[in-house]
Amino acid sequence: MNFRKFLIAQSILIAAGSVVFPFYLLLIKNVGDSYSQFGWAYGLFTLTAAFSYPIIGRLGDRFGDKKMLLIYTLGMAAVMLLIPLLYEVWQVYVIQIVMGILGAVQKNTEKAFLARNKDTDNAATRMGNYHLYISLWSGIAIILTGYLIDFLTIASLFYFISFVYIIASFVIVKREKI
Amino acid sequence: MRKSIILISTFYVMGLLFSLWLYNQKPIIMEDVGQLLPTKIKEVHGATSEAELQKWVKKSITNGEKISVAGMQHSQGGHTYYPNGVVIDMKNYNKILDYNPNEKTITVQSGATWDDVQKKINPDKLAIRVMQSQSIFTIGGSISVNAHGRDIRYGSLIDTVESFRLLNPEGDIINVSRTENSELFPLVIGGYGLFGIILDVTLYLTNDELYQIRSKNIDYLDYPDYFQTEVMQNEDIRLHIARLSVAPDTLLREMYVTDYELVENQETLTNYSKLKKDTLAAPQKFMLGLSRYSDWGKNLLWELQNKLYVGQDGNYITRNNAMRGDSKFMEYDNPTKTEILQEYFVPVDELIPYLDDLRTVLETEELNLLNITVRYVNKDEEAVLSYAKEDMFALVLLINQGRSKKDIQNTEKVIQKMIDVTLKHDGSYYLPYYSYPTQSQMDEAYPRKKEFFEQKKQYDPNEVFMNLFYKEYSQ
Repeated sequence: MNFRKFLIAQSILIAAGSVVFPFYLLLIKNVGDSYSQFGWAYGLFTLTAAFSYPIIGRLGDRFGDKKMLLIYTLGMAAVMLLIPLLYEVWQVYVIQIVMGILGAVQKNTEKAFLARNKDTDNAATRMGNYHLYISLWSGIAIILTGYLIDFLTIASLFYFISFVYIIASFVIVKREKI
Repeated sequence: MRKSIILISTFYVMGLLFSLWLYNQKPIIMEDVGQLLPTKIKEVHGATSEAELQKWVKKSITNGEKISVAGMQHSQGGHTYYPNGVVIDMKNYNKILDYNPNEKTITVQSGATWDDVQKKINPDKLAIRVMQSQSIFTIGGSISVNAHGRDIRYGSLIDTVESFRLLNPEGDIINVSRTENSELFPLVIGGYGLFGIILDVTLYLTNDELYQIRSKNIDYLDYPDYFQTEVMQNEDIRLHIARLSVAPDTLLREMYVTDYELVENQETLTNYSKLKKDTLAAPQKFMLGLSRYSDWGKNLLWELQNKLYVGQDGNYITRNNAMRGDSKFMEYDNPTKTEILQEYFVPVDELIPYLDDLRTVLETEELNLLNITVRYVNKDEEAVLSYAKEDMFALVLLINQGRSKKDIQNTEKVIQKMIDVTLKHDGSYYLPYYSYPTQSQMDEAYPRKKEFFEQKKQYDPNEVFMNLFYKEYSQ
């Protein structure tokens, strides 16, 4: 996977994640009925991520960044199809565990890919540019969603973002001509 | 590569369709502002046109489905929904159909709010006769609970209704007034949506007037006298509201009163007639927050409220503005708690002994009582479920409570005691709230209860229009 393709894929999936995040928070707040449940939902997410990092790291070296990223996008597309269906707290907990693992896959792969590049002198400059694009697209996407959400229900936003993850998976699968 | 894309797409489309199918099966849980009765319902229909409403009612009759009618859902006892039933949301059915400034009448669709009406009539220096102290409620909802408010010269809301059109349980549209289908008039008004869907309503209006606010502290022992001699006898006082202390130091003893007195020179009315917007009211909200958590906060709030409200003495305000109170500062969002209302009516001359008895209950029981306002209702027995059996004071209690089963049981115990005290003093209680009162308490407070439910069964033998209130009390 070349850097350009990596950048496009990351831009799409990070933007998708940032768009959904506030609405996801709103949704799990409505499902749970106490702040302790809210705390648990988030704690589970972080803890599963913590414990799955070492394994994911090893898998990343064995299967390569491309496959890992593909697992992430497909996994997230599936999760987005499940979120509108949640209405009980245990379901939120399960989703949080799955998202904890997937989030760890994404973060670990992102860093691994960037670290594999041998050009160490310009690493910070490269990272700066990389973050510019990633944040830029997220920012634009979030602002646009603000307008879009008036016309969509929150459930349809999750379906739409699920589709966006599928697009990202196509970008990853595609031959490296771009 | 192409193979993977086809594979991904196929699986994805299957997953998507399955998810959408499940989403359509997902139960809808409905709650009113009381938040104590989450209930699984079948679906919510937003009302748009008369024809469509009629179609839905007829469909429900054929399919044996239950219908509930909802406005702002500020009734707190599941009056706007029923398990597995269809909820008709009237909020967007809110057009103003006819307006006659000369005859001082207005006809509006029932989903319109008091705010909608005020905005329409305010420029013509007209005002509403009777409404709640907030303008957020729909007309249909207000009529279904036969509301009352700060006005002391008219009766209950029923007094100000000329006529309405009703979509009845057979799916037919009929006119209802004091002369046409007149037997339904006192059943539908204060009928909690059990006789059909109120489509549109013609209301009598009155003149907008400029008032001067008269506000002062008073001891509860002097209040009934003050009210009868200085308020009722003074024709110029048109609106009135009082507050009773819930602060532990002065519980049900200290009060302050606010009277709205007609100003002689009405020419300056236009200077004050711009309709107030609901303010953010952050300080009030913060103080109310403090009083939720401690007696110390309650004492402090009482002191400050006193200064704030009595400080308005001498100010000028129009009728329209005096009637539309703030509601934002009362909004409350807590994952485990909620705020509920109770309203008790006692005859004017019973107030002092009643407050003494009520105080005994409150001092011995655990209840997080945040606020009590006092209003006056003229005797008005037109509605079958009328609360104003004679000239009465109405006490509205704001109570903070937990949402767990145990919390509900605790509140129930205290509220049943308070209602016992109210009934002992020939009082009554208001019905749009949670089903804390017992069957026999309702029997005592509403002597025509049996008649009401019998009429309901006669007009709606298949029980098309249903709600949790009916389920709870119709036995």
